[in-house]
Amino acid sequence: MLEGLVTKLAETPWSIGLHESLYLYAITESTHVMSIMLFVGTIAMVDLRLLGISYTKVPVSQMLSRMLPWTIAGFVLLVITGGMLFLAIPVRTYHSLWFRLKCLMILIAAINIAVFTFKVERDKATWDLGRVPRNSKICAVVSLSAWACVIVFGRLIAYNWFDCDSINSPVMAKITGCPLDPG
Amino acid sequence: MSLYHTAQNIEASALGQTIRESTWLFPAIESTHLLALALLGGAVLILSLSVLGIGLKTAPAELYKSAHRYMNGAVIVLLLTGILLGVSEPVKLYGRQAFWVKMISLCIALAVTYLAFNPLIKRGASGVLIRSVTALTMAAWLMVALAGRWIGFS
Repeated sequence: MLEGLVTKLAETPWSIGLHESLYLYAITESTHVMSIMLFVGTIAMVDLRLLGISYTKVPVSQMLSRMLPWTIAGFVLLVITGGMLFLAIPVRTYHSLWFRLKCLMILIAAINIAVFTFKVERDKATWDLGRVPRNSKICAVVSLSAWACVIVFGRLIAYNWFDCDSINSPVMAKITGCPLDPG
Repeated sequence: MSLYHTAQNIEASALGQTIRESTWLFPAIESTHLLALALLGGAVLILSLSVLGIGLKTAPAELYKSAHRYMNGAVIVLLLTGILLGVSEPVKLYGRQAFWVKMISLCIALAVTYLAFNPLIKRGASGVLIRSVTALTMAAWLMVALAGRWIGFS
């Protein structure tokens, strides 16, 4: 079903226009990379606080509330530009191993955010400037690792090592959703 | 020896060849370059936003005690990985305008950051001067990153 959807998407004038544009694709991709500094940059600083190794004089509550708007701004930019990048090259990206791994990492990061928001930070008033609890540190490590993987896997989408035309193992065909070359 | 000739010599070097001929070395260095970019962005932003009054309420001088370590670390990794990327394809870079724009903005960004931004923040400066320097610092690093990405397109 998704396969049909991305194939349809690729035939839309929006997709073709973006793909063939002289500057828009490059501008979109550059904005995507710039927004990483805003999004992952602010997340990294917050995580370093949650690890209890930096900015220890800043109350955790302040760190979260004052940095979050910037993180969200970065997220909005990344989703818009990321969506446009997908729209420009839908079929290849859909089958890309790196894109799939990137989505998995984003999912892990999202679950981690949910756990932090609904469980870990609820009693932050008791450790706002005190010793950071273990759970908070675990969330910070998961967050830093997951977002780092998102950046690396995102960069690797550009490489064609595992494109459909070079898939020749059943396992890889399963993972990427590519047809297995009978030859 | 001309600059172009130097570029040709670097390209022919063992290090340049090794990176160019490896499948995963260039992507690995590139990815590390990007990770350090994110860290630099975070360190510069946490200080800048606080200076401009739109970030943390903690004094920038206090934040600097933590931020400068990440800033320095990120700059060192960016320079090292950047040099490695450059060594693998110097002849191509020589002919790309975006590369020279990046190198000039990099010099400006490093100078503004280490000669004005950091010293002023450490001193606890406030007022128009530090705000202007902050805006300039952010713009300079943004230009470096933008021109860097553009090398791949030009």
